[in-house]
Amino acid sequence: MERLSAAVKKEFQQFRRDRLLIALILWTYTIEVVLCTIALSFDVTDLRIAVYDGEGSQASRRLVERFTASEYFSKALYIHGPGEIDRLLDGGQADMGIIIPPDFSKIMEQGRQADVQFIFGNTNPNTVNAAMGYSRHIITRFSYDTVAERLARLGYKLPQGIEPRIRVWFNPGLEFRYFMVISMIVLAGIIVGMIHPAATLVRELETGTVEQLMVTPLKRHEIIIAKLLPTITIAMLALFPSLAIAKIFGVPIKGSIPLFFLASAIFLLTSMGIGAFIATFARNLQQALLISFFILFPLMFLSGTIVPVESMPAALQYVSYASPVRYYMEISLGIFLKGVGLNILWPKFLFLLIFGALILLLSLRRLKLYG
Amino acid sequence: MILPALIKKEVREIARDPVTLATGAFLPLIMLFLFGYAISLDVKDVSLAVYDGDRTQESVRFIEAFTSGRYFTLRYYLDSPQEADDVLLRDGAEMVLAIPPNFARDLRAMQGTSVQLLIDGTFTATALVISDYASTIISAYSAEFLGRFLREKGIAMEAPVKVLPRIWYNPALSSVNYIVPGLFAVLLMALPPMLTALAIVREKERGTIEQIYVSPVRPAVFIFGKIIPYGIIAFVDMLIILTAGTVWFRVPFKGGLVILVATSVLYVFATVAIGLLVSTLVRTQVAAVLLSLVVTLMPSFLFSGFLFPIGSMPYVMQLYTYIFPARYFTQISRGVYLKGIGMEYLWGNILLLLVYGGVMFVLASLRFKKKVA
Repeated sequence: MERLSAAVKKEFQQFRRDRLLIALILWTYTIEVVLCTIALSFDVTDLRIAVYDGEGSQASRRLVERFTASEYFSKALYIHGPGEIDRLLDGGQADMGIIIPPDFSKIMEQGRQADVQFIFGNTNPNTVNAAMGYSRHIITRFSYDTVAERLARLGYKLPQGIEPRIRVWFNPGLEFRYFMVISMIVLAGIIVGMIHPAATLVRELETGTVEQLMVTPLKRHEIIIAKLLPTITIAMLALFPSLAIAKIFGVPIKGSIPLFFLASAIFLLTSMGIGAFIATFARNLQQALLISFFILFPLMFLSGTIVPVESMPAALQYVSYASPVRYYMEISLGIFLKGVGLNILWPKFLFLLIFGALILLLSLRRLKLYG
Repeated sequence: MILPALIKKEVREIARDPVTLATGAFLPLIMLFLFGYAISLDVKDVSLAVYDGDRTQESVRFIEAFTSGRYFTLRYYLDSPQEADDVLLRDGAEMVLAIPPNFARDLRAMQGTSVQLLIDGTFTATALVISDYASTIISAYSAEFLGRFLREKGIAMEAPVKVLPRIWYNPALSSVNYIVPGLFAVLLMALPPMLTALAIVREKERGTIEQIYVSPVRPAVFIFGKIIPYGIIAFVDMLIILTAGTVWFRVPFKGGLVILVATSVLYVFATVAIGLLVSTLVRTQVAAVLLSLVVTLMPSFLFSGFLFPIGSMPYVMQLYTYIFPARYFTQISRGVYLKGIGMEYLWGNILLLLVYGGVMFVLASLRFKKKVA
């Protein structure tokens, strides 16, 4: 025990000396979380429309107003010839163009169908999809109202159809920031948890000081524990400001916070295990860091932290079952947004535990080669 | 000449290290395939749970309107509305559709009816799309019902407005077409600056940089000796992705190759200059990597418009994205690749890149010189 505490003390001292490092770890857990949460979302809003209104009638203006009144579109840019749309879309000054034909209201008066052209000129397929969806909705609504008006003039009442009553669960305001905060905390965990231990361990391996450690009476697991403690301590401490940030952003914390800390501790140990495992394969620091990236990127992007796992091709969805990040993410979303407990989350915990134990054991074994 | 000798030395050091070499060659490809396949917000096969409180021909037809399309897959048939909680909490279903009793009767009686949709909102982008799909299906069903009614009354009337959609630049709406040109901006900013910073800080850590200080090598020459090899690696990476993206993912290349390549050289110069600046700020390799992560790698993913549209960010954050050159190059590369536009639209961003690279380089050299003196 004394041995261990001395080793731990040494590691903490070494860690404390590197101020910039501590600052950067805190940065990923706090400022990066704030920046990303404020800035990033897949929501499509403020679409810029270029309108060529070939008729300029009351009806056509009413149609355009339907668009500009919606929160999804910003002010319409009126243009004088349909050709101008090309220029605006090419230059990226508009996201879509609407071309209203010159006989728009006349055709509608005759009970025929007026063709309104929509040109979607954003290169982002997600934005285009959303823009198309919004436009269809607005047009459907416009058509319905026009028909109802005309039927009323004929003395009919329009039958009521089916009204969807949509309720969004777990995140009724559809706030992307809830998801983003949690995702950034999870990502900070894997980045800090993996890279820092990999780097410190390999530094000892590189400078040969690990041999000195090996000939001390310290046991291998004691060395590992001493090496891992500073990282897990700072990462766990950094969770507190992160949680405060989550609170400020209004993220509901419906479930148990201790359970979240438990999950975080297991996850950090797992990440550090991966980091240590990588370190044993690297000859120098640069190698360790670069190998980390090979593992870090797939873990980061296949685990439902940026885009949902359900949107990935089936094969990759199966691959993602092997990622501890996926389980930590699902546990965190479950605890924060859904308020579920161990009774539902236990399989995910179990997997994290098994994965963490395996990877730590493996790196211990690999470390034996040095001793 | 000292410069060629320095470059040769650096190249040798890179070539000796299989991991660095593999990172240079394969990491971009891995990322291309990762993003090409995994990053998509396409929503399909939404797992649907249905509670049918009506159980009539009409309600069954209504459910079929959902399941016959390609967006929803019926996974659960609930016996009571209370079960909805459970399937949503267990991640079993993404949407629950609940049809009230008397659904068919109310609809026929012209008084209108409503159905309930419960949607899992954890990932809002998906939730929005699901709700959009569902509403579209429901309005189409309503419209069909309305048509039946009008026909019975003998009124001939078409929907007054028809949408003629046309999609430019990316008519297949494929994510890959959007991702690949953006990936240039990410990769050229994610790796080269970090490798450059590491190469310099490594010499600092080992103390070999002192030898450089006392040697007749001028700082600028030393810096170029570091920049050029990594710049070349970055450039080769870009060619690899360009080829793989065009051949494997069949992303159509509409613009001029020359302008893309020329601007990418400018861009690499700017990103590597950031790496230089990083190297003058830190003492250890670990810190160099973490700082590069924070100022180059993460922003290149997050604040470049690569994944998250800049237009949706709050204004202040939109200004923040200008700090990182990735945003300029993302626009250039998407413009050239997908829209086929040329200088007349690109000059602004190109100018920004030039100024950016110049300023960074001067800053880095100044800090470097101060150390030497």
